[in-house]
This record gives sequence, C-alpha cells and structure tokens, in this order.
Amino acid sequence: MTSILVSGRRRSWRRIFDRIMKALILLSVVIAVIPLFLVVADVVVQGLPAISWSFLTENPPSPLAGYGGILNGIEGSLLMVGMGTLIAVPLGVGAGIYFSEWPESRLSFLSSFMNDVLAEFPTIVIGLFVYAVVVAPTRTFSAVAGAVALAIIMLPIIARTTEESLKIVPITLREASMALGIPRWKTIFRVVISTGKSGLATGILLGIARATGETAPLVVTAGYLNFPPTALFQQTASVPYIIYNFGTAGYPNWTTVAWGAALVLVAFMLILNLSVKFFIGRKSTGVRAEI
Amino acid sequence: MPRLMDMGLDQLNSLLLDMANLSQQAVAAAIDAYTHGGKGTGVRQMSDRLQVLHRQVSDLSTEMIARFQPVASDLRFLKACLEISYGFFRYGRYALDITQVLEMFGDLGPCDRTPVVEAARKTQEMIRLSAEAFGKRDVEMARSIPSMDDIVDESYRSYLRKAINEKGNNKCSMSAMLILRYVERIADHATYIAESVEYITTGVEPSA
Amino acid sequence: MSLPTSLVGVQPKFETKGLRAGFGSTWVLKGIDLKIPPNRVTAVMGPSGCGKTTFVRCLNRLHELTPGAVVEGQALLDGEDIYDRNADPVAVRRRIGMVFQKPNPFPTMSIYHNVVAGLTLNGERDRKKLDHAAEHSLRGAYLWDEVKDKLSDSGASLSGGQQQRLCIARALAVEPEVILMDEPCSALDPTATAKIEELITQLKRDYTIIIVTHNLQQASRVADYTAFFYLGKLVEFDETATLFENPKEELTERYITGKFG
Repeated sequence: MTSILVSGRRRSWRRIFDRIMKALILLSVVIAVIPLFLVVADVVVQGLPAISWSFLTENPPSPLAGYGGILNGIEGSLLMVGMGTLIAVPLGVGAGIYFSEWPESRLSFLSSFMNDVLAEFPTIVIGLFVYAVVVAPTRTFSAVAGAVALAIIMLPIIARTTEESLKIVPITLREASMALGIPRWKTIFRVVISTGKSGLATGILLGIARATGETAPLVVTAGYLNFPPTALFQQTASVPYIIYNFGTAGYPNWTTVAWGAALVLVAFMLILNLSVKFFIGRKSTGVRAEI
Repeated sequence: MPRLMDMGLDQLNSLLLDMANLSQQAVAAAIDAYTHGGKGTGVRQMSDRLQVLHRQVSDLSTEMIARFQPVASDLRFLKACLEISYGFFRYGRYALDITQVLEMFGDLGPCDRTPVVEAARKTQEMIRLSAEAFGKRDVEMARSIPSMDDIVDESYRSYLRKAINEKGNNKCSMSAMLILRYVERIADHATYIAESVEYITTGVEPSA
Repeated sequence: MSLPTSLVGVQPKFETKGLRAGFGSTWVLKGIDLKIPPNRVTAVMGPSGCGKTTFVRCLNRLHELTPGAVVEGQALLDGEDIYDRNADPVAVRRRIGMVFQKPNPFPTMSIYHNVVAGLTLNGERDRKKLDHAAEHSLRGAYLWDEVKDKLSDSGASLSGGQQQRLCIARALAVEPEVILMDEPCSALDPTATAKIEELITQLKRDYTIIIVTHNLQQASRVADYTAFFYLGKLVEFDETATLFENPKEELTERYITGKFG
C-alpha cells in the first residue's frame, strides 16, 4: 500500500508543474480573447466619432460630406427583421411545439433535419433561394424578400430552442394538468409553454440577434436605398448593408459612417444578449427549484 | 435468503423447545415423586428456570413485533409464542405445586395412587404431544389433544364425586384431589398449546 | 375471485372487467377483475413491475397518453365504461383526481392559482367561486392554516410535504369522486407522511380513494381493503386486516412476509 506521504522533491515538482499548466491555459484564453477584444475596441474607437443623435435620425451623406446618419438602414432593418420575426415566430414556435409534444409522430425526423441541416445553412444560399422565389417573379429587390430570407434563417433557431425548452418541462406537469381534466391543447399552451416561456423568449431573441447581423442574404434580396422604406416591394436599406457598402467605398467619411453603423449594430446585439441573460437568470430559479 | 427477523424467530423457537423439554422433565419428576414416594428435588430449580425463559420469550417476541412489524404467519407465530410459553411455564408451576403437596402431606405409601397415576400418565402423553406438535407444527397431532383432555377432565370429576361421598378427612383422598386438580390444569394448558399450534398454521382459532 | 364478505351486495364505485394494458406488444396488466368499494381506501400493492401503477393510470385514462400504450377491457365508473367508444377522456378525468409520487405543483403559478388551476383552466372566472373553492380545498387538504396568509407565493416555495398537500388540494378543487394516489408519500419524510396518511383517512368520508403503495405498513395503516398484484395479475383482494394477518394465497403470504420481492 502506497504511503500518502510524498517526498519533498516530488511535491514541489508537482506544484511547479501545476503552475506551468495553469499559466499555459491562461495564456490560451488571453490569446483567444484578444482578437475579439480588438474588434470591439476598433469598432468603438473608429465608430464613436460618427455617433450622435442625428446619426440615428438622418440619412447617409454623400461622399466626402460629413457623417450624416443611418436612418434608412435602421428603419429598413427594423422593418425586415420585424416582418421576419412575425413570420418566423408563429411557424418556429409551432414547429417546436409539435416536435416536443408529439415526439413519436412520423414527422419528428423533420426536427433533426431542421436542427442539423437548416440551422447552419449558408445564408447566402438562402438569399439566393429567396432571390429566385421572390425577387425574380416580383422583378424587384424588396423588404418582403429580405424579410422572407431572414425568416428562413430565424426559423430553425426558434424551432430548436422552443423544442428544447418545452422538452425540459417535466412530463409530470403535463400529467398533472391532464389528470385535472384539462384538455391537451390547453395543457400545452397554459401549462407547458407557460413553464418553458423563458426558453422560448430566449430562442426568439437569439433568432432576432442572428437576423439583425445577417448581410449576405440581404445583399441579394433587399438591395439598398438611400432613404427609409416607403413601400414593401422596393429596395430597402439595412444596417449591415450600409457597413458593407460604405465601408469599402474608399471615402473617409463613408468609412467612418460604416464604423458608426457597426457600433450601432454591436450595441444592439449587446442589448439583445443582455436581455437574454436577464430572462434566463430570472426564470430559471423556478425551474431549478422544481428539479 | 434469510430475512432479518429469521434470526430472532429461530431464537424464539429454540427457547420454546427448551421450555418444552424442561417442563416435561419437571412434570415427570413431580409425578414420579408422587408415584414412588420421593421429594421431587430439582423441580423448584426447573420451575424457576422456566419462569426466566418465559420472560425471555415475552421480551423477545414483543421486541420483534415492534422492530419488524411482522404480518401473516410471522405475526401469528409471535402472538402464539406468548400463549405457548406461558403454557410451558405453567407446567413447571404446577409440577412445583405438586411437590409442595407431597411435602405437606408427607408419606402417602398406603394410599391408592392409581387414579392419579393414570390421569397423570394421560396428561404426560398430552404434554409430550403438545410439545411435539409445536416442534413440528403438526396440526393433526394438535387436533388429537382436546379429546384427551376430556378424558382427564372426566377422571378428575369422577374422583371428586367419589370423594364428596366419602366420610372423614382422608389424607389420601385429599392429596389425590389436590394433585388431580393440578394434573387437570396441566391438561388444559396442553390443549391451549395445541390450539395455538393450529392457529399459527391455519390462522383460524379453533372453536372450543 | 370471491369478494370479501363485507363487500357482498355493495355497489362498487369502480369495477374493472378483464382490464388489460401494456406498451407495444408487451402486456403489463393481464386481465384484472376488481371491484373497488365506494368511500373506502383501497390499497394496490405488489413488487416492482407487477402493474399496480399501470392499473391505476388506466383508471383515469392517463395510461393511453404514453406513446405506444395499449388498453383493452372495461373499467366501469358507477356502471359506465370509461373506455366506451363514446366516453370523453376529459370528462372522465374531471371525475377522477390524481396525486403523483413526486409533488408537482405548477411552478409558474402561485399557491392560490395552483389550487384552482383545474377550475380556471377550464374557464371558471367567477372570483367568488374560485376563492371559495380555494379555501374549501385547502382546508380539506389540511393546508389552509399554513398558507392562508401567503396564497400569492409561488407554489414551489413550500416544503415537500406541503407541496404534496397542495397537489391534493388542487385535485380536490375539481370536486372529483375518486382520488387516485400513486405512492404519494414515497418522496416525503416521516412527519409529512404521517400528516398525509391522516388526511387520507379523513378524505375517505367524501371520496373513494385508491392508493398505490409498496410500503406494507402504510397499507395496513390507511387502507380498508388491499389488492395484491403480481406479474400483472390480481392475486388476492381482501380486507386489509385479514390479508395481513391471514392471507389466503401462498403467494401473498410469501410476499408480505418478505420471502421474495
């Protein structure tokens, strides 16, 4: 039987080794974080000059003429993400409910299809699809086309998080509700969804965050306009498109506008993600006590 | 696989078998003293020992009921244990009582001891059967005992009737009556034990 | 199987005829004929896998909600077959309440809303009726005094024993006739268990109670009648006192004395 008492030399070697490993791991963390940090820092530094109240309320400037604003992009993004959400949420939540509550059905394989294939699908390809299906027949780039593309991107995310949030709700809650003589659909909506609603909200917010930052599909579906949208079936600006367009044009003020737009975008994503954390933090205490 | 309480049940069983043997010996010694004129030495010790054993049985069976909350045949056994142990204990007590009569009355040589001896022999047979029926949980054997009790009862009563009509304080008949009374009580207890054996096995208390 | 003498001529509250149930191609219950007496506590016990939980879940048509579940035979509630083609499972479940092994109050609802969930989720809006039902059910579950000042607290803020009584109150609020209990005390400490057992003996005045338990002592404490199941069949059904002191079947005797299972 080996003694628990170890010689002094082995002990100090072990301690040194532990410290070396810890330092190495710490180093890898730092290296990994640096690029992200640099990106954010760059965005802030480069974009801050452009930020002002008018930046959010005016339309873009002509080349070399100041910073103007990105109102067209903000309104365009809001419109398209909003419409996309209106399309994706009912469909996605509905699909998520179906996959969760009827797992034995023959359509349940669609769930893994959605999760494994669609969720990580190249968004430019989705954009191309919508181009063929919406833009070509209507002969115009449009907010509608953009919204549809965004909806297709959001759908798998919302469906998956809905399904997972509802699956976490213990079966015994459904049984308790059914045993009270509450019909199935009411059980699903008033008990199951109510219990899993923080997960659902998280999924929707994550979907919105994802959609807000998408650029490639909007390039081939919504195009660009220097003014805020006035009709659904015309070219529509978006914040990512502004970044793409203005950032590579070469005019210094346009470059700053692009950075400013990037800062607005990053700020928006940050707020969304903080809201997600807020939801998770608040509601999960109920679920944890349950378990 | 043996259960937790099997150990306790086995211990109770062997305690009772010990009491069965000891009580048979005590009664045999007492009757022998009457028949052949002796003092019945050792009966007192046996009776005292039986009392100690009875208390042990009582304690152990109560403890087992509280600890294990037994059911069905286990519960019936534990309930019957007390009855049976009391019966064996009483055998010893009555044996002691008989020796005390002998001590008081002294020499009974000239008496006609046959009625008592015959009843005693029947009773000893009953004691033996009751102990064996318990040991083997033999219901048939147990059922044969009550009828033997009737015989002992009858011989007790007939002797009484005879003695009532006799004249005078007769040492022989008085001692015989007292001892017959104890013998008859022993026989009664043998039937109680037999009934307990039947209860353990069938769960039904036989009607008197 | 012959009926216990005290039940001869008594109209059963629940009667199963040839009740079979299982999953896929495996039968767990292999034909149960049992008459459950009204306003009494009937315990269903047996070793694991004997079908006792499946049996009870058939009585409120909860079994069929599991994918792959199959049921055959009849279960007559006051003479009407709950498995009749025209029977409405929701209506059946409103007449039969159920309390589960692990307390399961709705986590997003307050104590008050938990209790009246069966009413509100079925459309009842009258506040006075709900208040009355809440108090009445909580009193009936021996919980009113402990929670009357914190009705708006979350249902999950109560202790395990209190949560279980909350679930009982929730079941009572729907005014069922039968209450099914699936090992209701197995997740509770002895004090909480004792409270609930006492509650059960009071409840039988107004309800018919069927309790699944693997705890022999609990059955002997609370149940008037006990049914012993083994491998999907009903082995013996009798008054609890008789079954525990002098069982008629050797299998029953061996099980309750711990010689197997």
